[in-house]
Amino acid sequence: MEQSVKIANRNSIISALIYGATYVPTVWLLKHHVFGKPVSIIIVIVPVITFSIYIFKYIKSFAVMDEVKQRVQLEAVVIGFALTVLLLMILFLLSMCGISNPRWFGYGELVGWCWLFYFVGWGISVKKYGV
Amino acid sequence: MKNTIKVERAKKNWTQADLAKHIGVSRQGLNSIETGKFIPSTVLALRMAKVFDTTVEALFQLDDTEG
Repeated sequence: MEQSVKIANRNSIISALIYGATYVPTVWLLKHHVFGKPVSIIIVIVPVITFSIYIFKYIKSFAVMDEVKQRVQLEAVVIGFALTVLLLMILFLLSMCGISNPRWFGYGELVGWCWLFYFVGWGISVKKYGV
Repeated sequence: MKNTIKVERAKKNWTQADLAKHIGVSRQGLNSIETGKFIPSTVLALRMAKVFDTTVEALFQLDDTEG
Protein backbone atom coordinates (compact mmCIF):
# COMPACT_ATOMS: atom_id res chain seq x y z
CA MET A 1 0.00 0.00 0.00
CA GLU A 2 2.66 2.48 1.11
CA GLN A 3 4.80 1.47 -1.87
CA SER A 4 1.94 2.02 -4.33
CA VAL A 5 1.30 5.48 -2.84
CA LYS A 6 4.97 6.39 -3.27
CA ILE A 7 5.00 5.12 -6.87
CA ALA A 8 1.79 7.02 -7.72
CA ASN A 9 3.16 10.22 -6.17
CA ARG A 10 6.48 9.83 -7.95
CA ASN A 11 4.73 9.22 -11.31
CA SER A 12 2.58 12.29 -10.75
CA ILE A 13 5.61 14.49 -10.01
CA ILE A 14 7.58 13.08 -12.95
CA SER A 15 4.69 13.71 -15.35
CA ALA A 16 4.34 17.28 -13.97
CA LEU A 17 8.04 17.86 -14.67
CA ILE A 18 7.69 16.42 -18.18
CA TYR A 19 4.72 18.73 -18.77
CA GLY A 20 6.78 21.71 -17.59
CA ALA A 21 9.70 20.61 -19.74
CA THR A 22 7.47 20.55 -22.84
CA TYR A 23 5.33 23.61 -22.09
CA VAL A 24 8.17 26.12 -21.61
CA PRO A 25 10.08 25.21 -24.82
CA THR A 26 6.79 25.19 -26.75
CA VAL A 27 6.02 28.75 -25.64
CA TRP A 28 9.58 29.80 -26.44
CA LEU A 29 9.49 28.16 -29.90
CA LEU A 30 6.15 29.67 -30.87
CA LYS A 31 7.19 33.09 -29.57
CA HIS A 32 10.57 33.29 -31.28
CA HIS A 33 10.08 31.32 -34.49
CA VAL A 34 7.54 31.47 -37.25
CA PHE A 35 6.17 28.10 -38.35
CA GLY A 36 3.49 27.10 -40.79
CA LYS A 37 0.08 26.41 -39.27
CA PRO A 38 0.30 22.55 -39.42
CA VAL A 39 3.73 22.56 -37.72
CA SER A 40 2.52 25.07 -35.10
CA ILE A 41 -0.46 22.89 -34.30
CA ILE A 42 1.78 19.82 -33.92
CA ILE A 43 4.02 21.82 -31.56
CA VAL A 44 0.95 22.96 -29.59
CA ILE A 45 -0.30 19.38 -29.26
CA VAL A 46 2.85 18.23 -27.42
CA PRO A 47 2.22 20.07 -24.09
CA VAL A 48 -1.49 19.29 -24.40
CA ILE A 49 -0.63 15.58 -24.42
CA THR A 50 1.89 15.86 -21.57
CA PHE A 51 -0.59 17.90 -19.51
CA SER A 52 -3.31 15.31 -20.12
CA ILE A 53 -0.93 12.57 -18.97
CA TYR A 54 -0.07 14.65 -15.89
CA ILE A 55 -3.76 15.12 -14.98
CA PHE A 56 -4.36 11.38 -15.44
CA LYS A 57 -1.42 10.53 -13.14
CA TYR A 58 -2.49 13.20 -10.65
CA ILE A 59 -6.00 11.75 -10.42
CA LYS A 60 -4.50 8.26 -10.04
CA SER A 61 -2.22 9.42 -7.23
CA PHE A 62 -5.16 11.24 -5.60
CA ALA A 63 -7.03 7.95 -5.44
CA VAL A 64 -4.31 6.26 -3.39
CA MET A 65 -3.58 9.18 -1.03
CA ASP A 66 -4.72 8.93 2.57
CA GLU A 67 -7.76 11.02 3.43
CA VAL A 68 -5.79 13.87 5.04
CA LYS A 69 -3.67 14.34 1.91
CA GLN A 70 -6.80 14.06 -0.25
CA ARG A 71 -8.38 16.88 1.77
CA VAL A 72 -5.26 19.02 1.36
CA GLN A 73 -5.26 18.50 -2.43
CA LEU A 74 -9.00 19.08 -2.65
CA GLU A 75 -8.81 22.36 -0.75
CA ALA A 76 -5.79 23.45 -2.81
CA VAL A 77 -7.72 22.82 -6.04
CA VAL A 78 -10.87 24.51 -4.71
CA ILE A 79 -8.96 27.61 -3.59
CA GLY A 80 -6.95 27.65 -6.83
CA PHE A 81 -10.10 27.29 -8.94
CA ALA A 82 -12.03 29.95 -7.01
CA LEU A 83 -9.21 32.49 -7.21
CA THR A 84 -8.73 31.78 -10.94
CA VAL A 85 -12.46 32.32 -11.60
CA LEU A 86 -12.31 35.52 -9.54
CA LEU A 87 -9.34 36.77 -11.57
CA LEU A 88 -11.06 35.88 -14.88
CA MET A 89 -14.20 37.70 -13.76
CA ILE A 90 -12.23 40.80 -12.78
CA LEU A 91 -10.31 40.77 -16.08
CA PHE A 92 -13.54 40.36 -18.06
CA LEU A 93 -15.23 43.23 -16.26
CA LEU A 94 -12.15 45.45 -16.65
CA SER A 95 -11.96 44.59 -20.35
CA MET A 96 -15.55 45.85 -20.68
CA CYS A 97 -14.30 49.16 -19.27
CA GLY A 98 -11.54 49.11 -21.87
CA ILE A 99 -8.84 48.29 -19.31
CA SER A 100 -6.52 45.39 -20.05
CA ASN A 101 -2.91 44.48 -19.40
CA PRO A 102 -1.94 41.53 -21.62
CA ARG A 103 1.67 41.78 -20.41
CA TRP A 104 0.61 40.45 -17.00
CA PHE A 105 -2.78 38.95 -17.75
CA GLY A 106 -2.57 37.40 -21.23
CA TYR A 107 -3.66 33.78 -21.81
CA GLY A 108 -0.14 32.51 -21.15
CA GLU A 109 0.16 34.47 -17.93
CA LEU A 110 -3.23 33.18 -16.77
CA VAL A 111 -1.80 29.65 -16.79
CA GLY A 112 0.92 30.87 -14.45
CA TRP A 113 -1.60 32.66 -12.21
CA CYS A 114 -3.68 29.49 -12.06
CA TRP A 115 -0.69 27.47 -10.84
CA LEU A 116 0.23 30.20 -8.37
CA PHE A 117 -3.30 30.14 -6.93
CA TYR A 118 -3.16 26.34 -6.62
CA PHE A 119 0.07 26.61 -4.62
CA VAL A 120 -1.43 29.37 -2.46
CA GLY A 121 -4.35 27.01 -1.71
CA TRP A 122 -1.96 24.15 -1.07
CA GLY A 123 0.06 26.29 1.36
CA ILE A 124 -3.07 27.36 3.23
CA SER A 125 -4.32 23.78 3.48
CA VAL A 126 -0.97 22.34 4.55
CA LYS A 127 -0.76 24.96 7.30
CA LYS A 128 -4.34 24.27 8.37
CA TYR A 129 -3.89 20.50 8.76
CA GLY A 130 -0.22 20.58 9.73
CA VAL A 131 0.88 17.97 7.20
CA MET B 1 -13.80 17.03 18.63
CA LYS B 2 -11.59 15.49 21.32
CA ASN B 3 -9.85 12.15 21.01
CA THR B 4 -7.89 9.73 23.15
CA ILE B 5 -5.63 8.43 20.40
CA LYS B 6 -2.47 9.54 22.21
CA VAL B 7 -3.56 7.74 25.39
CA GLU B 8 -4.45 4.55 23.52
CA ARG B 9 -1.18 4.73 21.63
CA ALA B 10 0.75 5.10 24.87
CA LYS B 11 -1.02 2.03 26.31
CA LYS B 12 0.27 -0.01 23.39
CA ASN B 13 3.63 1.76 23.45
CA TRP B 14 3.21 2.67 19.78
CA THR B 15 4.72 5.64 18.00
CA GLN B 16 2.65 7.66 15.54
CA ALA B 17 4.46 5.88 12.73
CA ASP B 18 3.45 2.46 14.16
CA LEU B 19 -0.22 3.40 14.39
CA ALA B 20 -0.14 5.11 11.00
CA LYS B 21 1.13 1.91 9.45
CA HIS B 22 -1.61 -0.14 11.13
CA ILE B 23 -4.46 2.05 9.91
CA GLY B 24 -3.02 2.93 6.49
CA VAL B 25 -2.40 6.68 6.72
CA SER B 26 0.75 8.79 6.63
CA ARG B 27 2.42 9.76 9.91
CA GLN B 28 1.75 13.43 9.21
CA GLY B 29 -1.89 12.57 8.51
CA LEU B 30 -2.17 10.73 11.82
CA ASN B 31 -0.57 13.67 13.62
CA SER B 32 -3.21 15.92 12.08
CA ILE B 33 -5.96 13.61 13.38
CA GLU B 34 -4.39 13.20 16.81
CA THR B 35 -4.08 16.96 17.31
CA GLY B 36 -7.71 17.43 16.27
CA LYS B 37 -6.94 19.40 13.11
CA PHE B 38 -8.55 16.78 10.90
CA ILE B 39 -11.69 14.77 11.63
CA PRO B 40 -11.28 11.27 10.20
CA SER B 41 -13.89 9.43 8.16
CA THR B 42 -16.10 6.78 9.78
CA VAL B 43 -14.07 4.01 8.15
CA LEU B 44 -10.79 5.33 9.50
CA ALA B 45 -12.28 5.92 12.96
CA LEU B 46 -13.60 2.34 12.99
CA ARG B 47 -10.24 1.01 11.83
CA MET B 48 -8.54 2.92 14.63
CA ALA B 49 -11.02 1.66 17.22
CA LYS B 50 -10.42 -1.89 15.98
CA VAL B 51 -6.63 -1.77 16.34
CA PHE B 52 -7.03 -0.36 19.87
CA ASP B 53 -9.75 -2.91 20.65
CA THR B 54 -12.13 -0.18 21.75
CA THR B 55 -15.12 1.71 20.37
CA VAL B 56 -15.26 4.84 18.23
CA GLU B 57 -17.25 6.57 21.00
CA ALA B 58 -14.43 5.89 23.46
CA LEU B 59 -11.85 7.15 21.02
CA PHE B 60 -13.65 10.30 19.83
CA GLN B 61 -15.86 12.60 21.85
CA LEU B 62 -17.66 15.80 20.97
CA ASP B 63 -16.46 18.98 22.66
CA ASP B 64 -18.86 20.57 25.14
CA THR B 65 -19.41 23.42 22.67
CA GLU B 66 -20.33 20.95 19.90
CA GLY B 67 -23.38 19.76 21.85
